[in-house]
Amino acid sequence: MKITVERSGGIAALTRTWTVQATTSSDKSHWQPIVEACPWDAVPDSRQVSDGQPDRFMYSIRAGQRRATLPERAVTGPWRVLVETTRAAAEQTPRNGTATGIRS
Amino acid sequence: MICSIIPPYMLKRLAAQDAPRFSAVRRAAKEALLHVKTVQAARTAPAPVTPPGLRQVQPAPPDRSVYDAKSAESLPGVLVRKEGEAPVGDPAADEAYDGLGHTHSLYADVFGRNSIDGQGMPLNATVHFGKLYDNAFWDGQQMVFGDGDGEIFERFTRSLSVIGHELAHGVTQFSAGLAYRNQAGAINESISDVFGALVEQYFRKQSTADASWLIGEDLFTSQVEGTALRSMKAPGTAYDDDVLGKDPQPDSMDAYVRTSADNGGVHINSGIPNRAFCLVAQAIGGNAWEAPGQIWYETLTGGSLPPTATFSVFAKATAASARELFGDGSAEHDAVREAWETVKVKH
Ligand SMILES: [Zn+2]
Repeated sequence: MKITVERSGGIAALTRTWTVQATTSSDKSHWQPIVEACPWDAVPDSRQVSDGQPDRFMYSIRAGQRRATLPERAVTGPWRVLVETTRAAAEQTPRNGTATGIRS
Repeated sequence: MICSIIPPYMLKRLAAQDAPRFSAVRRAAKEALLHVKTVQAARTAPAPVTPPGLRQVQPAPPDRSVYDAKSAESLPGVLVRKEGEAPVGDPAADEAYDGLGHTHSLYADVFGRNSIDGQGMPLNATVHFGKLYDNAFWDGQQMVFGDGDGEIFERFTRSLSVIGHELAHGVTQFSAGLAYRNQAGAINESISDVFGALVEQYFRKQSTADASWLIGEDLFTSQVEGTALRSMKAPGTAYDDDVLGKDPQPDSMDAYVRTSADNGGVHINSGIPNRAFCLVAQAIGGNAWEAPGQIWYETLTGGSLPPTATFSVFAKATAASARELFGDGSAEHDAVREAWETVKVKH
């Protein structure tokens, strides 16, 4: 399972992407509950999720076949855990980060 | 002629004041407007004459409060510096305090605006928001600054144009109320860049020729190949970095970017109206916060710009403001029309 977090917007409007690949079974058992905890079916239409505050971040999150687009202020609870865990993992293992994910 | 030293854009605003306590000013301003034939006449008036009651609408001094979120994300945080208090020694808190003051000065001194909402709104800012937070924003009521991640971004209070940019979102919110999507959103962003740049230029007393026209200088760490977030003079040239990629801003409608990301590219296509403003300033010369700033400020606050304005509607509105303020076919009016021509926006 591939998990990708893309953060766009902000005053700088730089898009950063963090990616992890859960390939081994122990990886999968680590990521599965973090992904499953998110309310993927309760995400509002991505065209309507802009929350009206200028210069806030927008998150596009993908895990396997599932995807969600959330304004920064909606990234709470399990979404926050998923975003933070993905970012931390991608930054620890440079080969899994995409070009905009890490500085080496 | 009465109060001929007051610029017409200010007279117009005074004439439009609704509150009863401004009635004397309003009457005086309307009379003055009737008499003002050209701004040149107004400019060459020998001595300033303050119309009765004008002091009532003079902007109040700033009322600043700076809070420390202490790396949490709840607002406003702990109050660390109030108006009139000495520097606290935390660069983020002191830069925020100073930046709010410099922004207030531009609006008060140059545009006669009483704080962000025009009603003397207190200026509140929170610093140290979140952990390694890579952003600064206006939340509808106050400023919020992150510390940056230290790898790409330094703390966001370092840039006065960024502080001015964010507070300009407040001014837009309380005036034209531009939507934050597609072309209206890109105009909203551009307005913030324009007034952010003007805050910085006015504080540094830099003329158009001397100014960098960069937004967010000093924000990137030395690891980044780039000078700033955006260049108003040459959109698309602010950075070119192996990690961040290249500055994506177009400098004319020929390179307009259609995208669903970033609320329809609001930070990308803002390069087009940004360059138009810079071209106007270059054509007129001198200080950009004078005639060019007045034209843009009048367009933003004059009450006729629709919240869903397109570039073309905005371009026409700036030309109309220039004509109203400086006369049909004036150098200022021509400068505005030529600038939109250069960036290929219909006007
Ligand atoms: Zn902005």
